[in-house]
Amino acid sequence: MSTYRDDAAPVSRTLDTLPDPAPGLSAQGVHRAFGPVRALDGVDLEARAGAVTALVGPNGSGKTTLLLILAGLLVPDAGQVRVGGFDPVTQGQSARARTGWMPDAFGTWDSLTAREVLQTFAAAYLLPRERAAARAAELLETVHLTEFADRPASVLSRGQKQRLGLARALVHDPDVLLLDEPASGLDPRSRVDLRILLRLLASQGKTVLVSSHVLTELDEMADDAIFLSRGRTVSAGKVATAQAALRTWRLRSLSLATLLTWLGAVGATWLPDDDAVVRGPGMASAGPPGGRTAGVDGPGSDGPGGVLLQVDGEVGAAALLRDAVAAGVPVTSLAPAGGALEQAYLALEEERR
Amino acid sequence: MSTDVTIDWATAAPEPDPAPSGSGGARRTWALSWHGVKTVAVLDLRQRVRSTRWIVALVVWFVVVGAITWLTWVAANRAFGLSTGVSSTAELQSDPAGGISAGPTIFGLIVFFVLFLGLLVSPTLSATSINGDRAAGTLATLQVTLLTPAEIAVGKLAAAWIAALAFLGTSVPFLVLALTAGGTPVLSVVVCLLVLAILLAVVCAIGLGFSALTARPSGSAVLTYLSIASLAVLSPIVFGLTFPAISSNDQVRVWGVPSDYDWESGAAPTCEWTTQTQQQWHTERTWWLLAINPFVIVADAAPEARGETAGFGFDPLGGIRTLVREARTGPTGEVDYCTGNYSGLGEDAAPSPVAPREPDRSVVWPWGLAANLLIGGAGLAIAVRRLTIPQRTLPRGTRVA
Repeated sequence: MSTYRDDAAPVSRTLDTLPDPAPGLSAQGVHRAFGPVRALDGVDLEARAGAVTALVGPNGSGKTTLLLILAGLLVPDAGQVRVGGFDPVTQGQSARARTGWMPDAFGTWDSLTAREVLQTFAAAYLLPRERAAARAAELLETVHLTEFADRPASVLSRGQKQRLGLARALVHDPDVLLLDEPASGLDPRSRVDLRILLRLLASQGKTVLVSSHVLTELDEMADDAIFLSRGRTVSAGKVATAQAALRTWRLRSLSLATLLTWLGAVGATWLPDDDAVVRGPGMASAGPPGGRTAGVDGPGSDGPGGVLLQVDGEVGAAALLRDAVAAGVPVTSLAPAGGALEQAYLALEEERR
Repeated sequence: MSTDVTIDWATAAPEPDPAPSGSGGARRTWALSWHGVKTVAVLDLRQRVRSTRWIVALVVWFVVVGAITWLTWVAANRAFGLSTGVSSTAELQSDPAGGISAGPTIFGLIVFFVLFLGLLVSPTLSATSINGDRAAGTLATLQVTLLTPAEIAVGKLAAAWIAALAFLGTSVPFLVLALTAGGTPVLSVVVCLLVLAILLAVVCAIGLGFSALTARPSGSAVLTYLSIASLAVLSPIVFGLTFPAISSNDQVRVWGVPSDYDWESGAAPTCEWTTQTQQQWHTERTWWLLAINPFVIVADAAPEARGETAGFGFDPLGGIRTLVREARTGPTGEVDYCTGNYSGLGEDAAPSPVAPREPDRSVVWPWGLAANLLIGGAGLAIAVRRLTIPQRTLPRGTRVA
């Protein structure tokens, strides 16, 4: 039995043998209906190798269905899918050999120990026995479950099971990782670990597709973002672009009055910093049309306070900060209000209404 | 069927632009390897052995079969006259050949009881193995590995079967004990265990098929029990109910004593052929209803008991064997009323022209076993089909993951 993959430079080998040198992951015009429910209604996506791609969308937008198709579990009604250069429908085994899939809800065999779970999956991916043992130990270390290695999986907490699930998806060192809500149930430390791990995997040339609702987190780890809504791709692009785009920043000052006076002097458009507005769903509407001009409100009693401003990327933010400080405004902080993805997502939600 | 599940880089390379949904997965679907089957079987067995009170179940089984053995032993010995010295096997064995022996009775009843319990227990081992895993969220993660659907299905079947065999193994001491009661050839134990093992595999395969078909574990368990009941209980009932349908008034050639024979003469009658109309039951048309019955299969496959216990002892295996073989032979259209019953009329009667019935030529168990294996095979095939990914249609009420 030959090994199913060559551990030395698997990516380059894939590249060598493929006529189409585009590993990563792609989908074109994917449709899938469950009876009358159109779960996917035309999804196009491209996930680059060596990058983390975020899959963002509201509940029921078809994220999980899309991942099931990419993982080779469902046949799309129409459309083309390529995972690691292979079609999961016609070349299922080859595609699955390169795909690591972590479902949003999954179980573990409760009576097996964490180590046994990983070794079983290594065996299921046809890894030789010694490799399987070594790989299991290595992955337990990676996801910080070594101390639970020989305890039954039933004693693991939800977050620990989630980490075990991640290790399970990595057991055959896949080129393409499909992670459905990997961060749910994870504590802050584990989320940071997850982010570092995914960045590391991407830097090794792997394709990582992550779906999550925790958008601020995707902000920090994703290179690209794909927005799904009602089974369609509504937007796709680089997170960096979203970060550079015109978006809302929060500027706080020790003296609100000074700040407002200065804003009025330079003629900037701003919104009062109302946390309820910031966090509420209507926040994305905080565009210039609804803005006010400084002075209209009139400063009340002076004190610390802040405003929301539309700033054109980080360059704009730097300029704003420099000017404010130069004008003698006692600025305490200037930061984006909400993540880039969150703002983009909420803007999309807004368009849909 | 291929044993090759490794990925061949040459063949795995993508075609320029394959059709969106090809049928190229057929070979992969049914590919089997020892490694794959073992992985799944070990996984299932580990999960099962650790999560259930396995030892307790085996002990309970041992005690129940033991109790039945003891009861049978006592009852059989009482019934067949050995009211004293029940425990003395030496005495039992020293029964003159052809005399009464409780051995076949004890052996037959224990075999039937073990089969009965096996039919009860085996469905629980496999009837929830696929939809149960699906409900627990562990199936899809296994399906996306490089294991083929056939490996998953066969592995699960193997795990259930091994568990069933553990129960069967626990019963072996009692079957061997029954041997000491005499009358049963050692071969019987081997044959019966073999047939029982195959039948339990069939039951496990049926359960596996239903667990792949239905969404809910309870549904598949019910369906499996209904199927087993159909085979074991319903089939003989239906056989009985078909009697009006298979009865007909046929012309029968009767080799009998002439009607003008003078019974006072003392001379042997010269028998002659007459044609009569008699009601006949054409069980040769319905014998297969009995043949698919697991109990009949075991009884028919078991070697004949040593020493003829006809008329006195009670050999459940032998009795059923005779019955089904007669049923399969059916009426021949010729009856001998001259020889045999009227043998008192003298030894010098002419030899009967009626061919003796040879029920032993109508062996039933290979047919029954084959039919059962076919049913089990169908269950396995259904399971493999349902485990094949990617799925085009989802069974009602099921989720992929």
